[in-house]
Amino acid sequence: MSQTPSDDDIKRLAREAGLDLPAEFMPELIEAYGHVRQMTERVRAARPRGDEPAHVFVASAFQPGKDKR
Amino acid sequence: MTELAFLTIAEASHLIAKRELSPVELTEACLRRIETLDSQLDSFVTLTAERARAEARAAETAIMASGPRSRLHGIPYCLKDIFDAAGIRTTAMSKLLADNVPPRDSRCQEKLAAAGGVLLGKNATWEFAHGGPSWDILFPPARNPWDCTCSPAGSSSGSAAAVAAGFSPATLGSDTGGSIRGPAAACGIAGLKPTYGLVSRRGVLPNCFSQDHAGPLAWTTEDVAILLQVIAGHDPEDPGSADVAIPDYSAALTGNVKGLIIGVPTPWLEKEAPPSAATMAAFEAALDVFRGLGASVRPVTLPPIEQFDDAKKIIAISELFTIHADDLRKRPELFGASLRYRIIAGALVRAEDYIQAMRLRTELARSLQAALSTVDLLMLPTGEPARKLEPIHPSTLFTQPSLTAAFNVGGNPALSVCSGFDARGLPFSLQIVGRLFDEATVLRAGDAYEKATPWRDKRPVL
Repeated sequence: MSQTPSDDDIKRLAREAGLDLPAEFMPELIEAYGHVRQMTERVRAARPRGDEPAHVFVASAFQPGKDKR
Repeated sequence: MTELAFLTIAEASHLIAKRELSPVELTEACLRRIETLDSQLDSFVTLTAERARAEARAAETAIMASGPRSRLHGIPYCLKDIFDAAGIRTTAMSKLLADNVPPRDSRCQEKLAAAGGVLLGKNATWEFAHGGPSWDILFPPARNPWDCTCSPAGSSSGSAAAVAAGFSPATLGSDTGGSIRGPAAACGIAGLKPTYGLVSRRGVLPNCFSQDHAGPLAWTTEDVAILLQVIAGHDPEDPGSADVAIPDYSAALTGNVKGLIIGVPTPWLEKEAPPSAATMAAFEAALDVFRGLGASVRPVTLPPIEQFDDAKKIIAISELFTIHADDLRKRPELFGASLRYRIIAGALVRAEDYIQAMRLRTELARSLQAALSTVDLLMLPTGEPARKLEPIHPSTLFTQPSLTAAFNVGGNPALSVCSGFDARGLPFSLQIVGRLFDEATVLRAGDAYEKATPWRDKRPVL
């Protein structure tokens, strides 16, 4: 597991993400991020370069006639 | 005679077709129950009584002139308050959308209206179909008709409560991790999460684009099949919509499950996310019913449930944050605390982690379909019986394993049906999961089970 970010780290990351939260909501973010971070650590795995994710672009969905009515 | 409001869709449509029941009588019976009893449940956030009366009169006139145009003609229904109906506010229970009146129907509403249904109103939901139960949002949370001190679960909470209470024979909900099946289970009704893409989500407020499903809830599986027939089908305006043939779902309800092979994800139920002893006893009894009907049961091994939950939740929180980012940056105080907690950390999920979760999803979905190539159906409990309606720490979303979310990751159809009652009189539930786009087999099994058991004969008393 990578180094646990400090509360100040999380506040900085939030600001960099454009989330300049009022102080009253910051404890929520810090606590929730602790849970999310455990999950993201678990899904980090070495995978083949060609291992495509579940949301690849499907060109046929954009063919004329399949667009908006 | 059965109280009119307790008629199933199948029963009511049969009587309407024979001109022995008027849509006006049926609609009035539903409205009467809602107006006198919903103060106990808060299952509706918007009641469209005059519109319903007008639609019922129009249906009556049309049916008297030329017969019903569908099995939903003249049948009352309602919508979770994230489905748009033109001219009626869609709030998602959020202060952010208190005055949101959409100009256009959702695709599902278009289809239900075209089938001649009678819209009663909009049902309570957890905020944006994700955070709850909450007491700091636009409306109070719905309660469970089997015990008003208990939760109907979420997020399609008002939808399930309204059907169980006999306020409406039909409703639509949405399911991103179990939000149709959980409330259906808690309220002792039938609720189907169809295959991803089978039912259009156009005009339905999103929770998580890549895992959102719209689907029907009703008292019986037979009624769920009738509703699915109306709302299923390709929609070019939903990017996830599947262009597949739609079978006759009601015709699939033969009552025959002889020879079906049922897989049970034993490692999940014994080690990874073991249900209570009472829930497992009810589940084993349900499996015995299927054995008695000629099906066979065997254990199957699926990938660890934690992997499904991790993929589901990382994807969901990333997409949720993207959807709500502007409001979270500008007016975070307008969110309920439960929803805000559950999405705010999405700001810090790296693109790499989202993509890794999407890669894991591909792997898990393939494994799930491989397991389902060796059996016809998977069965497991949907969850535990209803808990008390009280604040729960929003972190439970991240920390508690889910018996439902895996099938949002895989996209498979999954039905919850009532499988008895616990010592408090609260419903147990059975979850039936099928192969992609094989709703017919899922519904056939659910219907056969309901007809072989007495659970559909008991209604909550308000």
